[in-house]
Amino acid sequence: MRELDFRHVRKGYESPAGGLLVALEDFTLTVDSGRFVTVVGPSGCGKTTLLRMAAGLVPSDDGGLIRIDGEPLAGPSPKMSMVFQGIGLMPWKSIFDNVALGLQLQAHRSKLTGDERERIAATLALVGLTGFERYYPHQLSGGMQQRVGLARALVRQPEILLMDEPFGALDAQTRAVLQDELLEIWNRVKSTVLFITHDLDEAIYLSDRVVIMSRRPGRIKQVLEVNLPRPRFSYDARAEPEFARLRSIAWQSIKEEL
Amino acid sequence: MSHSSLPLEPAKPKTPGGAASLLAALGRSTAAMLVLSGIGFLLLWQVISMNVSPVILPAPADVFVAFIALTASGELVSATLATIWPFAIGLVLGFVVGTVMGLLLGIYRPAARVLDPYIFVGWSIPNIAWLPLFIAWFGVGNLTLIIFVFISAVFPQLLTVEAGAKEADSFLVEVARSLGGHKREILYNVVLPSSLPYIMAGLRIAVGRALVGIIVGQLLIVATGIGYMFQFYGETLSLAKYFAPLIVIAVLAILLNRGVNWAERFFIPWKNRAFT
Repeated sequence: MRELDFRHVRKGYESPAGGLLVALEDFTLTVDSGRFVTVVGPSGCGKTTLLRMAAGLVPSDDGGLIRIDGEPLAGPSPKMSMVFQGIGLMPWKSIFDNVALGLQLQAHRSKLTGDERERIAATLALVGLTGFERYYPHQLSGGMQQRVGLARALVRQPEILLMDEPFGALDAQTRAVLQDELLEIWNRVKSTVLFITHDLDEAIYLSDRVVIMSRRPGRIKQVLEVNLPRPRFSYDARAEPEFARLRSIAWQSIKEEL
Repeated sequence: MSHSSLPLEPAKPKTPGGAASLLAALGRSTAAMLVLSGIGFLLLWQVISMNVSPVILPAPADVFVAFIALTASGELVSATLATIWPFAIGLVLGFVVGTVMGLLLGIYRPAARVLDPYIFVGWSIPNIAWLPLFIAWFGVGNLTLIIFVFISAVFPQLLTVEAGAKEADSFLVEVARSLGGHKREILYNVVLPSSLPYIMAGLRIAVGRALVGIIVGQLLIVATGIGYMFQFYGETLSLAKYFAPLIVIAVLAILLNRGVNWAERFFIPWKNRAFT
């Protein structure tokens, strides 16, 4: 089981004016084991807040509950990995050492075993970065840097992968390539994925379910099931009538929130 | 996977022929530029010294002779040694204490809020004002000298490193937290490396301050070493000899600066240099 479960999760912040700003309200959702679920919504709908809470970086307000496989979440979990839009590679670490950090902070041990070194090499191969082990992040393009970010997450063999607009800062071509690569990798590792984006096409193309949020305070507005056959990189899924139908529904729904 | 996004070697510029190419080649060679500027400097010095009394400015040749004589007699060597070791001890202590305290104060902000005013006052008081106190407390000797050098180095190091640790990228800290990093692991993997450029910048300032500290200290406290040579040959108006310790200090400063440059390249290889 690798199930991520939200029950009445809520998050409010104190606004600078002194009032309470509710970012997310009564969010209840179960991300079933091995499923790819994407949350879309207008900016300010609390989707990044949701992911930061799921990652254990910020606590949810009293009354809400986030559980992994039934266990209440208490801080960052070794079962999870998060991929950030800003990537967040350590500029002073080589590509190999950046990926190694994912393991070192999971195991709380700086020395790597032989097996772990092999696992890092295999993960770099999985994201197509064999041969770049000794490079530093600033020597790589944005797309390659995000591949390293993905490798740092995957090397932990996470049961749950949290992705916060990971391709948001990339150009359209690189984004399309990385979407296909992500699907191919996901097809092999079978993690549960909770993905955040504001790009509807990306959401439909990648996901089993698309969760559409209302504007602030963010609530779940609509959940779309995407039944396009997988693997979707093996045919032109975006050209299917079903894709267009879902996209139209999602756009109508989102438009009301803008 | 395409390698096209990797940095490429810049194309070598084409060389034009004739005198222009010689000048261009000289312009590109740092060593040639240094030699040329050195010759120009000595010529200018020579011309000025020929038009003023040797008590105002001795000729370069006289300075050279005096330098050789002081070296041969052993005076310059023993003075240099007497200067280097208290300098080195004071600087190393100031660097270590300043770096460690700077890192800790950068991370533990409540402690910093209590200590920052004291540090600021310590930094603001001109070093020289400490001297009578130090002499009263620690006597006239090398201990006072070392403490004086230490005080000169520790404040710039501490303040620079504290600023660096405080500025540690909060996003990278969050990334490390999301990976499960404990406080100590984040300190070692994120805060310390991101502070390294500041540690080096602090060292550069601390070296300069410590150099001033050792000379002033020797002048005013112990009457030994390079600092005392300045005092003695200055007061006796032996200007040709006065230049010998000056040359030693200049060489020392250049070597130390080179050392810091080397340390920067060694410890901060990831840093993008906009100008080289």
